[in-house]
Amino acid sequence: MSGYDFESMKVLVADDSRPMRSLIKSFLLGFGVKEMFEAADANEAYELVTQLEPDIVITDWRMPPTDGLDLVRKIRMDMESPNPYLPIIMLTGFTELHRVKQARDAGVTAFLAKPISAAALYRRLCTVIDDQRPFVRVGKFFGPDRRARRRSEPYMGVERRRDSQ
Amino acid sequence: MADKAQKFQPPHPLTRKIRKTGGPSPEQAILRALNAAEDLIDNYQGWAVDDLTALWKAYEESRNGGSPRQIQKMFEIAHAIRGEGGSFGFQLISTIGDSLCKFLEGRKKLAGAESEVVKVHILAMRAVFKQDLKGPQPAMERELRQLLALLRERMG
Repeated sequence: MSGYDFESMKVLVADDSRPMRSLIKSFLLGFGVKEMFEAADANEAYELVTQLEPDIVITDWRMPPTDGLDLVRKIRMDMESPNPYLPIIMLTGFTELHRVKQARDAGVTAFLAKPISAAALYRRLCTVIDDQRPFVRVGKFFGPDRRARRRSEPYMGVERRRDSQ
Repeated sequence: MADKAQKFQPPHPLTRKIRKTGGPSPEQAILRALNAAEDLIDNYQGWAVDDLTALWKAYEESRNGGSPRQIQKMFEIAHAIRGEGGSFGFQLISTIGDSLCKFLEGRKKLAGAESEVVKVHILAMRAVFKQDLKGPQPAMERELRQLLALLRERMG
């Protein structure tokens, strides 16, 4: 049985922790991803988004002095953004419900809690690829439809299944 | 009156670029990912020592009450540790880091014996590394979580 072919996918990993960036890139390499880029903060990440046009961004929330939410808002709302529809996974140790809602309201596509496992990351990538939700512009929000409840919608809560740890 | 929502279909959805077949099976992909990360996971303790050293230094500096900035620094380190520990196989480190984050978040100073709560968390993390308590430890994790919650409640 075969699975997703990630070979042609370009992924940007933004995290201020070097060990975490290395770990995520190793997992992606194992999944078959060939092109990966990394950034240590939101400004550097946005630069790479404009220069390299990745297919998906995996970003940490807290990256002092910058913030993953700022990166999400910039990708979604900046007039110069090369791809406001870019799929974004927020990967963070902040798992409280109000944080998940904050990330969703900034326009993230999916949320993944740290600590992560290879299995949880694989599943999240698959659901993001399958995500069929339209984007919505309303007030100051632009991002994946927060009201959509389609089967393919990525789960926004915290993974608590034992095998995801 | 509320703004009217406008809907847009993403012009280049990933489903057009990424094929659902042709790659390794999910089991193979995950196994390859674990193999690719094996060396990193083995080296994690070396990196974690730096975090623990920085946390201990911040704790010592804040023993006389600490400033909001020092406490924020400790929170930042504890937040990094809770994300990294379990990701590199030390679930108990994430449990302790999470408890320390809960204790420190929003705190402006450490009064009286409150700094000792920080010390207990750091010593607990050191013990986990010293005993090499890797992998799932559900019973111990549950007990540790309860004990640390009790400590925070009594001392916080």
